[in-house]
Amino acid sequence: MIRRRRKRVNPRLLFLLLICGLGRTSLALDGDSVHPVYVGVKVCAQCHDGDAMGNQCSIWARSRHADAYAALSKPEARLIAKLSGVPVLPQQSPLCLGCHATAAEAEPWERDPSFAIQDGVQCEHCHGPGSEYADAAVMMNRELAMKRGLRMPAMEECQACHAPKGSHDAVLKGDRLDMAAAWEQIQHPTPENAELVKLSFPPLPSSAKEPAFVGAGSCAECHADPTKGDHFGAWRRTAHADAFAVLATARAREIAAKMGVSGDPRTKLECLKCHTSVYHRPASHVLGTASVYEGVSCEACHGPGSQHAETCSRPRSTEKNGLLKVDAPACSSCHENAHGKPFQLPANLAEASHPIQAREHEEAGPQYKTPINLAVSPDGKELYAACEASKSVVVVDIAALRKVAEIGVGGQPHDVAFSPDGKTAFVSNRLDDTVSIIDTQSRTVTATIPVGDEPHGLVVDKQGAFLYVLNTLSEDISVIDVGKRTEVKRLSAGRGPWSAAISRDGQWIACTNVLSHFVPFRTPSRSEVTLIDATRGMVTLRAMVPGANGLRGIAWHPSGDFALFTLNRHKNLVPMTRVVQGWTITNGLGVLWRDGHVDQVLLDEPGIAFPDPTDVVVTNDGKYALVTSAASNRVAVVAVDRLLNLLQSADEAERANVLPNHLGKAAEFVLQWIETPVCPRGITVAPGTDRAFVAASLDDRIAVIDLNSFQSVAVIDLGGPQVVTKERLGERVFHSAMNTFHRQFACSSCHPDGHVEGLTYDIEPDGIGVNPVDNRTLRGILDTAPFKWEGLNPSLSRQCGPRLAVFFTRIHPFTQEQLSALDYYICTIPSPPNRHRPLGAELTPAQRRGKEIFYRTTTNDGRLIPMENRCSTCHYPPLYTDRRIHDVGTKLPLDEHGLFDTPQLFNVYNSAPYLHNGIAETLEEIWTRFNPYDQHGVTNDMTKDQLNDLIEYLRTF
Amino acid sequence: MTSNTAGYFASFIMLMWVAVQGCPEYAIADDSGAGGKNSSLPALAFGQSVDGISDEDLPYVYTQWENYTVEDGLPNDHLFCVKATPDVIWIGSENGLARLDKKSGKIQSWNEEDGLPWRAITSIDVDPKTGDVWLGLFGGGLARFSGGRFEHFHQLNSGLVNDVVYGVAVENNHIWCATTAGASRYDVITGKWDIYTEKNAPMEEIWNYNVTYAPSVNKVFLAVWGSGCLEFDVATEKWKDYIDPDKEMEIDLYRDDGIIHVITTAASFADGALWVSAYFGCCRYDGRHWRGFYAHETGLPSDFTNFLKARSANEAWFCTDKGAGVVADYATDTYVAYYRNSDNSGGVAKIYRQGRLLREVPLEVSIAHNFMIGVDFDGDDVWLATAHGLSHGIGKGYYPGVKRAPQQPQTVAAASSTSADSK
Repeated sequence: MIRRRRKRVNPRLLFLLLICGLGRTSLALDGDSVHPVYVGVKVCAQCHDGDAMGNQCSIWARSRHADAYAALSKPEARLIAKLSGVPVLPQQSPLCLGCHATAAEAEPWERDPSFAIQDGVQCEHCHGPGSEYADAAVMMNRELAMKRGLRMPAMEECQACHAPKGSHDAVLKGDRLDMAAAWEQIQHPTPENAELVKLSFPPLPSSAKEPAFVGAGSCAECHADPTKGDHFGAWRRTAHADAFAVLATARAREIAAKMGVSGDPRTKLECLKCHTSVYHRPASHVLGTASVYEGVSCEACHGPGSQHAETCSRPRSTEKNGLLKVDAPACSSCHENAHGKPFQLPANLAEASHPIQAREHEEAGPQYKTPINLAVSPDGKELYAACEASKSVVVVDIAALRKVAEIGVGGQPHDVAFSPDGKTAFVSNRLDDTVSIIDTQSRTVTATIPVGDEPHGLVVDKQGAFLYVLNTLSEDISVIDVGKRTEVKRLSAGRGPWSAAISRDGQWIACTNVLSHFVPFRTPSRSEVTLIDATRGMVTLRAMVPGANGLRGIAWHPSGDFALFTLNRHKNLVPMTRVVQGWTITNGLGVLWRDGHVDQVLLDEPGIAFPDPTDVVVTNDGKYALVTSAASNRVAVVAVDRLLNLLQSADEAERANVLPNHLGKAAEFVLQWIETPVCPRGITVAPGTDRAFVAASLDDRIAVIDLNSFQSVAVIDLGGPQVVTKERLGERVFHSAMNTFHRQFACSSCHPDGHVEGLTYDIEPDGIGVNPVDNRTLRGILDTAPFKWEGLNPSLSRQCGPRLAVFFTRIHPFTQEQLSALDYYICTIPSPPNRHRPLGAELTPAQRRGKEIFYRTTTNDGRLIPMENRCSTCHYPPLYTDRRIHDVGTKLPLDEHGLFDTPQLFNVYNSAPYLHNGIAETLEEIWTRFNPYDQHGVTNDMTKDQLNDLIEYLRTF
Repeated sequence: MTSNTAGYFASFIMLMWVAVQGCPEYAIADDSGAGGKNSSLPALAFGQSVDGISDEDLPYVYTQWENYTVEDGLPNDHLFCVKATPDVIWIGSENGLARLDKKSGKIQSWNEEDGLPWRAITSIDVDPKTGDVWLGLFGGGLARFSGGRFEHFHQLNSGLVNDVVYGVAVENNHIWCATTAGASRYDVITGKWDIYTEKNAPMEEIWNYNVTYAPSVNKVFLAVWGSGCLEFDVATEKWKDYIDPDKEMEIDLYRDDGIIHVITTAASFADGALWVSAYFGCCRYDGRHWRGFYAHETGLPSDFTNFLKARSANEAWFCTDKGAGVVADYATDTYVAYYRNSDNSGGVAKIYRQGRLLREVPLEVSIAHNFMIGVDFDGDDVWLATAHGLSHGIGKGYYPGVKRAPQQPQTVAAASSTSADSK
C-alpha cells in the first residue's frame, strides 16, 4: 500500500540534501557571508584519526563508503547504469556520482586541491563541506561548528541514497542494505574525552633525486577508465587500499607488539614502510594530493609519480617517465614472511595485477545495428543506413545487395543524407547533438559539427551549399554552411521537428514535427508542417494539421505540387474505453499542398490498423507512395492517383471533417500491404530504379521491394547478431502493436524515442475529462518508482502488465516473457546527457544564483520558508524526487484528488508540458500561473529575474 | 519608480494618445521662416555663404510622398512603428499588424482574430538571417511571427521581464526588449532569458523606451527614461552609460556637454555616430564631441521627439509631434523639416542651414500626419509611421549631404503633383 503524505516532511530530510553537497552555498560568519568548500578526507583525517578521536578516519577507510567511487568501475555498476538510462560511464554520470562520490554537483572551485572525488563517499558527503569548520578551534565547539556548516545526520537521511532502487535490485539480486546494521557498522563516535591530538608521524624518507608522490587520486585522473583496465578501481578494491587503516585495529597492535613495536602502529616507521606508499620509498617530497591515508597505493609499487604524471602523454617507458618496474622482489620486500600470512608470488601478483587493456565490451553483450533511416547515393550505387545501436553507418552495395563497409559515427545516429555530388554524406547523431560528415571516397568521418538538441532529420539543398538539420528537442533547425562546416543560423521549427524532404526543383523543404503545438487545455492537437524556402533559407509557411500529432516521415511528389507525410490522430480527450472513430489512435497520411492547405486520410481500416506509420517515399514516376508501419511490420502501397481522386471528389467539409476520421477509405487507395522484417522505419527509392529499400530496424536487415511486383524480393543483412537478447525482445515488444486492442498502436506510439509525445490523456472510464494526466518520459524511469502521477503502480511490471491490460492490450496481454523483456528494455532507454551543464562544468552566474534560490530557506523579506515548501525538500538530488505523493495545489475540478507523484527532473527542460495534467506549457508557468498560494514551493515573493535564475538552474538537472 | 517618473510616463502616454486620436495639423503660419515657434530663428541673409557653403548647396528633399491608411488595407491609422525590408514593409498599429508588399503594393493585415497575440504593436524588428519578425506588444509582451504563425512570449509563460514592450531589436541570436520594467534579452538558441535592471546595469530608472542594435560595432543601445542612453558591448557584456552631465531635468544648462537629457526616447548608431532623441531635443555623439539639436536653433519641427533613426553619421530623421525633422547634412548644419497642412493633403518641406531658412518646397502631397513615432529607411526611400497612416517618401535621385543643384527643389516640387494622397 502506498503511504500517502500530505505536505509532511521529515525535517531531518532536508539536512540530507544539504550534506549531499547541494545545500546552501554560503554561511553567515560574523556578519560576513562565506562560501564553504570541500576539503576532502585527507584534511579531516589530520585530526580525526588516532585513539584520542576514536580512529574515525580509519573506520571510514575500511567502510564501503570509501570504496563507493571505485565501485562505479565494476561491471555491475555499468549494468546498473544501463538500467538507469545512463548512456555514459557511471563515473561520468551525475546520477551515479550523486551517491557514489562527494560534492558531485559542486563546481570545481568549490573543491579544494586537497579534495579528490575518487575518495568516494567521504566525511563531507554527510557532514557538509568543511572549509569553515575544519579549524580545530571551531571543530571543538560543536555549536560554532554547526553554525559554520557542520552537519550531524540521522539514519533516516541515508535513505536519499540508500532507498531501494530498481536498477540496483535488478543487478545486485536483492542484496539490499540492512540499514540498521549498516548504521551501526559505520558508527564512528567521538570519545567523550576526545582530544584533537594529531598522529605523530616519523620523518619521511627523502631523496632529492627522486620524483614526488602525487597520490592515488592523481593517478586516477587517467587510470580510472574501466575501458582501459580500471586501475584505480582495481587497486581501491584490494587490501592495499586499506593498508594504513588496518593499522588502527587491535589486531595491528597485537602484531606490532609481537614485532617489538610499541605504541600506535600508525606512527611507527617499521609499520608505515609497508602499509603506506609515502614511507615505502624515498621521494623528493609529498604533494598535498598524497597522504598516508591512501595506504599502499600506485606509487608504492610504481614509485613516486610526479615525473610520470607530467609525461604521461608520451609513449610508455618505465625509464623515461619515472615508473619503476614491478616484479617479484618488489612485492617480496613487504610480503615475504609478513606476519605469518601466506604469500604465493605468482598467484598474489596476478591477483593484484591490473594490465592496460581495453575491456570495453566485457559486459556489453551482442551489439545490434538497428538501422533507422536510409539514403541512396546520387549515382545510385550505394545505400547508407544510419544504425542507432552500433553508432555507425553501414554501406551497402546496391548492385550486389550486400554490406561492404561500416563507418563509425556518433551516438544514436538517426538519419543520413548525401551532398548532390555524392562526395559527402551527413549523419545526425541524436545522442551527441552532432552531425558527422563522411568523405564517401575514403569512407571516413572528416568532421563532426555541433548542432541543436537531439538532431533527427537531415536534408541538403540542391546546390549542396547548405545542410538543414532538424533538432527535435530544441525545436529548431540548424542551417549548416557545408563549405565552412559551421552553423550559420537556426530556424525556429514546430514542436519536435523530425523529418525533412526537399522538392525536386530544390525550392521547398518540408519538415514534419512529431509533437503538437501547445493547445488550450483539453482541446485537440494541432501539429505543424514547416515549409522552408531553400533559396532563401527561411521559413515561409507553417501548415497546421488539426487533430493530428506524431508527424514523422515526409516525401515530395515529383511534380512538386504536394508532399505526403505520416501522422497519428490521438483521441486523448475521451476515456480510452471509448471505441469511437477508431478508438485511441488512428494512423494516417497527410497531404501538404503548396499553398499550405492540408488534407488527411487514414491508412487504418476497420479492425485492421496501420500502427506507427513512420516513413513515406514516392516512386520515381510519382504513381505510388510506400508507407512503413513500424508497429505492424508492413509497407502500404498507396496509389497516388486514387488518393488524389478521393480528395478531389470530396467537398471542403468532407475533406476537413470526414476523411481525416473515416476508417473505410483506405481501401480505395491502398493497393496492398507488403510484409517486412521487424519494425520497418526508414524507406527510400533508388533514383532511376524500380527498387525500394526498407530499414527493418529491429532485425538489422534491409528489405528490398520490387516496385513492379510490389513484392519483397531480397533482404540485406547488415551484420547484426542473430541472437535475440532479452533487451532486444523488449525493444521489439515496445515497438510492436501486436498486443494492443485492434493492433492499433505500440508503446512507441506515445513514447517516441522513449520520451513523450506531449499529450494529456483521459485514460480512466470515469467520465469524460475526469482525472486527465500528462504523459511522462520513460528515460531513466526505473529508479523513480512508484509510477504514474497518482503514484499507484509500485513496479514497471505492474504498470506494463495488469495496468496496460485494462486499457491497451485487453484480451491479448503480454506474456510473462514479453512483459519481463519489455520492462527490461524500458529501463535501458537512455536519458541523454544534460545540455545545459556538462559534467563538472562550472555553473553560469545565472545558474549559480538559481541554485541559491533552489536551496533557500527564507523569502526575500526574511521569512522562514516552511521545510515542506522548499524546492529541495521534495526534489533532492541525485534523483530530484522524493518518490512520494504531495498536494502542491494543482488539483482542478475534474481531478478526484490532489495528491500527485513528485516527478524526477532530469533534463526537465525538454519534457514540456508540465504538472500532472500538462497544463503548464513552460517551466515559468508552473509558478507564474499555477502556484497562486505558494503550495508548490514559496515562489510568489520572487522577482522575475530570480525566477529566471531558478529555471536556469533547474535546466542543469 | 518615483511619482515624478510615473508622471512623465503618463504624460508620454497621454501625448501619444492625444496625437493618435487627432492631433491638430501643423499650420504653415507665414513665409518668414519656420513659422510658429520657429519664428525667432536667427535672420541670416538669404544666400549668404556659410563656412564656404553656398546657399545653392542643398540637401535632397523628398517631394514624392505616398500615404496609406485603413482605406488601403491598414488595420488602423494610428501607427506606432514601421520596419522596411527588401521585399515588404512591416507596420505596427494600435490595432493590428500589417505587411505592405512593395512589388504588388498590396497590404495584408492581422489582428487578434487572426492569431495576433495582442492588438497594439509598438515595435518591429526582423531577423536578417531567419526572416522572423519580432513584435514588441504594448502590454502584451513579445511575439515572433514566422511562417504565418505567431508565437507569444509574455511574463507568465517566459522570462520576459514585463509585458509593456516599447522596443525590440534583433542582435545576433538574441532578441532584446525594452520594457517598462527593464530590458530583457532572449537567446533564441538556448532559450535563456536575461534581465537587465538597476541590479546589473547602470539604470537609475528601468523604464526602457527603445532598443537598437548596431552590427558594425556589435553593440546594443538602450534609450531609458531617466537613465539616458546605455551602450552594451555584446562581446564583453560591459555597459557604458551616457547621461546628462549637467543633471538638469528642465534645461540643457551647458550645451554640448553630453546627452541633452536623461529622459531619452530612442537611440540610433550609424557610421560611428550615436544619435539620441529626447522630448527636449536630440543629440549626436561622434565618440569625442556631443552636439545638441534644438528646434529653435535648427528649424527642426519640434524638440518633442518620439523617435529617431540615423541614416549615417551625417543624416538622421527625427519623428516629432509637429512634423518630420531631418538632419540632412550634419557637416554643413543643414536641415529639412516636413509638414502637412491642416486642411489638405499638401504640405511643405523647409530647408534650413544654421537655423536660417533657405528654401521652402511646396508639397502637393505631404506626409500623412505631423505626429509620428516611427521611421525606417529602404534604400533611397523613407517610411514614416504617423498618427494617421503610413507615409512613403520616394527617394528618386536621392543623394546624401548637399549638392549644388539649385534647380532641384523647384524642379522636384513641380514634379510632385503626380502623387496621390491615398494610394
